[in-house]
Amino acid sequence: MTRRRRDRELQEEVEAHLRMAIRDRMERGQSREEASYAALAEFGNKSLVKEVTRDMWGWASLERLLQDIRYGARMLRKNPGFTVVVVLTLALGIGANTAIYSVIQAALAPLAIPDAGRVVMVWTENVKRDWHQFPASVPDYEDWKASGVFSSLGAMTDGGFNLRLANRTERINGLRVTPEFFGALAVPVHLGRGFRAEDMQPGHNDVAILSDTIWHSRFGADPAIVGSSVVMDGVPHTIVGVLPKTFPAIGQEEIYAPLVFTAEESAKRGDRFFQVVGRLRDGVSPAAAQKRMADLEHRLSTQYADDAGNGVALQPAQDAAVEDARALLLILFGAVGFVLLIACANIANLLLARGNARQREMALRSALGAGRWRLCRQLLTESILLALLGGVVAIVPSLAAIRFITSFHLDELRNVDLIALNSGVLIFNLVLAFATGILFGLAPAWQAWKTNVGETMKEASRSYTGGGHHRLRGLFVVCEVALTLVLLLGAGLMLRSFVQLQTANPGYGSHNVLTVRVALSDQQYAIPEKQLAFFERVVREAQSLPGVVSASAVDDLPASDDLHGSGLFFADRPAPRPEDVKVVLRNSVMSGYFSTMRIPLIRGRYLNEADSMSATPVVVIDDWTARNNWPGQDPVGKSLKLGRTRPALQIVGVVGDVDQGILVKLLKGQVGQVYLPAPQAPMPAMTIILRTAVDPATLIPAMRNLVRRLDIDQPIFQADTLENVRAASHASQRLASTLLGCFAGVAVLLAAIGIYGIIAYSAGQRTREFGIRMSLGAKRLDVLRLVVRQGLVLAGIGIAAGLAGAFALTRLLSSLLYGVNATDPLTFAGVTVLLAVIAAAASFLPAWRATRVDPVIALRCE
Amino acid sequence: MPAKDRYQNRIELLQGTLDMIVLKTLQWGPQHGYGIISAIRASSSNVLQVETGSLYPALHRLERQGWLTAEWKQTESNQRAKYYRLTAAGKKQLAAESQRWTQLSGAIASIMGLEGEPS
Repeated sequence: MTRRRRDRELQEEVEAHLRMAIRDRMERGQSREEASYAALAEFGNKSLVKEVTRDMWGWASLERLLQDIRYGARMLRKNPGFTVVVVLTLALGIGANTAIYSVIQAALAPLAIPDAGRVVMVWTENVKRDWHQFPASVPDYEDWKASGVFSSLGAMTDGGFNLRLANRTERINGLRVTPEFFGALAVPVHLGRGFRAEDMQPGHNDVAILSDTIWHSRFGADPAIVGSSVVMDGVPHTIVGVLPKTFPAIGQEEIYAPLVFTAEESAKRGDRFFQVVGRLRDGVSPAAAQKRMADLEHRLSTQYADDAGNGVALQPAQDAAVEDARALLLILFGAVGFVLLIACANIANLLLARGNARQREMALRSALGAGRWRLCRQLLTESILLALLGGVVAIVPSLAAIRFITSFHLDELRNVDLIALNSGVLIFNLVLAFATGILFGLAPAWQAWKTNVGETMKEASRSYTGGGHHRLRGLFVVCEVALTLVLLLGAGLMLRSFVQLQTANPGYGSHNVLTVRVALSDQQYAIPEKQLAFFERVVREAQSLPGVVSASAVDDLPASDDLHGSGLFFADRPAPRPEDVKVVLRNSVMSGYFSTMRIPLIRGRYLNEADSMSATPVVVIDDWTARNNWPGQDPVGKSLKLGRTRPALQIVGVVGDVDQGILVKLLKGQVGQVYLPAPQAPMPAMTIILRTAVDPATLIPAMRNLVRRLDIDQPIFQADTLENVRAASHASQRLASTLLGCFAGVAVLLAAIGIYGIIAYSAGQRTREFGIRMSLGAKRLDVLRLVVRQGLVLAGIGIAAGLAGAFALTRLLSSLLYGVNATDPLTFAGVTVLLAVIAAAASFLPAWRATRVDPVIALRCE
Repeated sequence: MPAKDRYQNRIELLQGTLDMIVLKTLQWGPQHGYGIISAIRASSSNVLQVETGSLYPALHRLERQGWLTAEWKQTESNQRAKYYRLTAAGKKQLAAESQRWTQLSGAIASIMGLEGEPS
């Protein structure tokens, strides 16, 4: 029977009852008015009778819910102070979670390619040589292509282009790819076509494909752009296609050009310089593909010396896209989760305390017939209502947090433009708020469940509570302290490693240094002499700019992401086995580099103008290389080789170690560093370094003009102070330490409030006991000690639990830590003491108040 | 809210007894709510005054238990009313409750030292 029909029938039943009652009374001689009045009075409250009757069928659940909500809202309105405190606490906790979630959903968003699960990165691996996710060589790539595992296997390598626009030239990030790259991703182009085999023929490879971004920003989204010509690296290229907006970028690339292998590259199996992405052939499972590729590479490794010991690893493209950000996001998500849990524990404690005050109300309602379940549900409804309110208010802090996080411009975070409060994030916010409400609402609901009506009515005049609730509250405080400790430790470790990064002596003077990069196009500057001549001219002219103290250039700045490593060999020592070859970082520097960077000379001499192209090949090594390869000897005058078959280089000097950047530090600890004179190792792209007497940033326009005057097709880019470059390489660490610091601060505050709350409450409960003790001769100090000890015991248990958890959890941080161990004893000890002091302070206040009690009043206060 | 709670409370106190009385009253034939109240009042010589707030919930509860069925019929005075009728299960329930009641009241009477029939 439907609910509406039942309602109507009940209504009729009641009306029939009244009619009969009136009729009977009228038959007994009453007037109609009298009869109606008496019948109605006798019947009682009609709607109430109906409501109670309806309840018998159990169909009033929705109505009861509405009633619970109304009642809950009334309770919240009646205690505005309590409501505001709880809602604000929740808003911060939920807001932080919402913000981090919005970052995560953007950064971990699936790649916008069809059947993304079948697209994999193919990496060279070599455990003995410590190669992990290593690039591929052309012969290996050709063998892989012939394996039959992939329907399409593309190669790609980073490349920038000097793009000429009307009256200036700009550096644009680009990607050089083979035609199969587009086949592997299988995303249809928006306009025109992808690359074809004929685009790979030398002489026919001056074609380009535009990203949606650059098509809009530089070409006005011209629909007729395909077929027109654009000058890149000084050479006209034909635009053959435009990619859709959703095309997944590997990095920040905006232009794609063909990746054409030279004859030399195609011949050398050991020349690994590009990445490989493939789409699995239909019917080949990822596991089968990995197996077949491993078998193939095993064959190649026995066949070719260059591949000895090599393996191959297939990595889902989706994983490759998110792996850089994963550790950071996991840590931040964990941290905000902890903050929310701490907030929940605090609110649960507040509600328990209030529950004690409301115990009479609950007992009364239960005596009047409200079932236990009904009371629990009422309390849960109130909690969820509070949490949902908090969730709505949370939108304000989450917007602020999102803005703050995106202001860091982290390279690791993909899809920064997708970080927003979209519907998915709002649903998360709502679900989280709901779950939070249930979580912290369970405690007061359980308390109500346990409430013994008779007992409470008897005790109601006194505000006594059972030990059970008190133990529960103690448990919450312990959890809070434990979680806070873990957060504090995380923040402490991050902060220490960040401070270390900022203050560690980089080995050079980074103050007042401007760096600008110039990448010569290989078509216009094909021969090394021309490249060298260009950079020598730039440096010479830069030296005479006003405000410049000295100038030089290096192929890649220390602490930059671009590293060139070489195997270290010695002419006078037996060649090591391949897996024992030491790797050193190699830089090509112009004369004056060391003095401009202020890298100290330890032995021998710096490189200078005399180390020309035709002079004896020389090298300068860093102190670390000297110590590790010539212990106790003077390496100056000895020689080394950068490659088994390369010519010997004479060591002319030893200079101080420089900071090799977080990348090397995290992967290898430290490796040697050698410097070659640029004339003997010319590079097509160099970073010009100016030591200035003025604010370095003010020299950027002058440098731009200087380079443009020399060659309008060669733009400067990455123009920034050395200090900023260093800071940018620590952006993740800065973000993580700032956010973890904030979260830990909030956690400490909440934990302190939690401890204060429970100690104040229990001290209040024991007022009478303290009165007795003091009247029996106990000193104030004894009472003080008694109360503080209670707080410290709780904090101590929490700290012990937290330390145990932290040993397991801080390991997650290790990928972001620098110069400090994940279980750094100093941080652990410092944080533990800090938290203990805070706990003691939070207990001291209520304890001190307890000692102010006048024994006589205390005894009377029952 | 408190008013409603009072009704519920009363029902709880009277529940077993009221249910039995209602079943007993319907033993003589189908009757509507008003008729049941009048019958109980008359047969208890005006001692038992059953409130509508207890009766109707009890009737609906018994109907849900399957001890009563209800149908709409005309009264002698030609009005539509909802008549409740004892089902077979209701009769069995009435028998069980009567027996329990006899035992209980006998036991209470003997404790109170009144004249009671030992069961």
